Amino acid sequence: MGDVLQRYLEGKIDFEGQKLVEQITRNTLIAATVVSFVVGYAAQSLRVLFGVFALFVILLSAAVIPPWPAYRRHPVKWLPVKDTKTE
Amino acid sequence: MHTLYSRVNNVSAMVSTCLMVLLGAISLSSLLFTADPKGTLSISSIQVFPGNARRYSNKNQDFTFVNFNLTADLTPLFNWNTKQLFLYVSAEYENKQGVRNEVVIWDRIVRRKEDAGLSVAGRNKYVFRDVSASFKDAPPAHYTLKYNIMPYVGVLTYGEAARTVDPVPFPERQDLS
Repeated sequence: MGDVLQRYLEGKIDFEGQKLVEQITRNTLIAATVVSFVVGYAAQSLRVLFGVFALFVILLSAAVIPPWPAYRRHPVKWLPVKDTKTE
Repeated sequence: MHTLYSRVNNVSAMVSTCLMVLLGAISLSSLLFTADPKGTLSISSIQVFPGNARRYSNKNQDFTFVNFNLTADLTPLFNWNTKQLFLYVSAEYENKQGVRNEVVIWDRIVRRKEDAGLSVAGRNKYVFRDVSASFKDAPPAHYTLKYNIMPYVGVLTYGEAARTVDPVPFPERQDLS
């Protein structure tokens, strides 16, 4: 029970997943900055600007923070355990 | 990035960087708005009376009473980054000693764009007196309406929206009977 809980709270992902998450975060946030500024400027409203930006951040968090299966598709393959006793 | 907490940390760090960039861009965008509206300010009556200030009650000094008419449409000053406007009418004159004085005699805070169309027949809100206690021989004064744009993000900007066409001389002191 404790193990399962800990696994969910830690939410570990593999190395490929980490790379993907990093790229998604960077690209989305840069795009969010540009888009929210343009939209806010067009609407002449700071409320619209920060609303759009907050929407992006919420969507990004939902996409990136939980350990979705897409980030766990390349588990690390360990070498088989050597049997040291027989040597 | 391998655990949930490190991803939260990473995302929030990048978000704060982006927010700073946005705030910087917003404050720079204020430079694009170069509206410079002008209005009119005229002095309808000006009188000088002797009196005692509440603070230095044994000192006799002159008080000037100014009535003015003010019309100005300052709505162009409201853009997306304008929080409010601080408007003030000040008298500018050189006193007998040749010191340049600027005395704020009236002010107003405009918080909404709808309130920025001004048409005011007002009088001085604040006591208008001279350090030398007298306006005798003081050269004529110019009266100006100035504004101060207070943005949500960025720097305060000052400007002048109206100025009396000709300098207005101080009248002779009228003695109270």
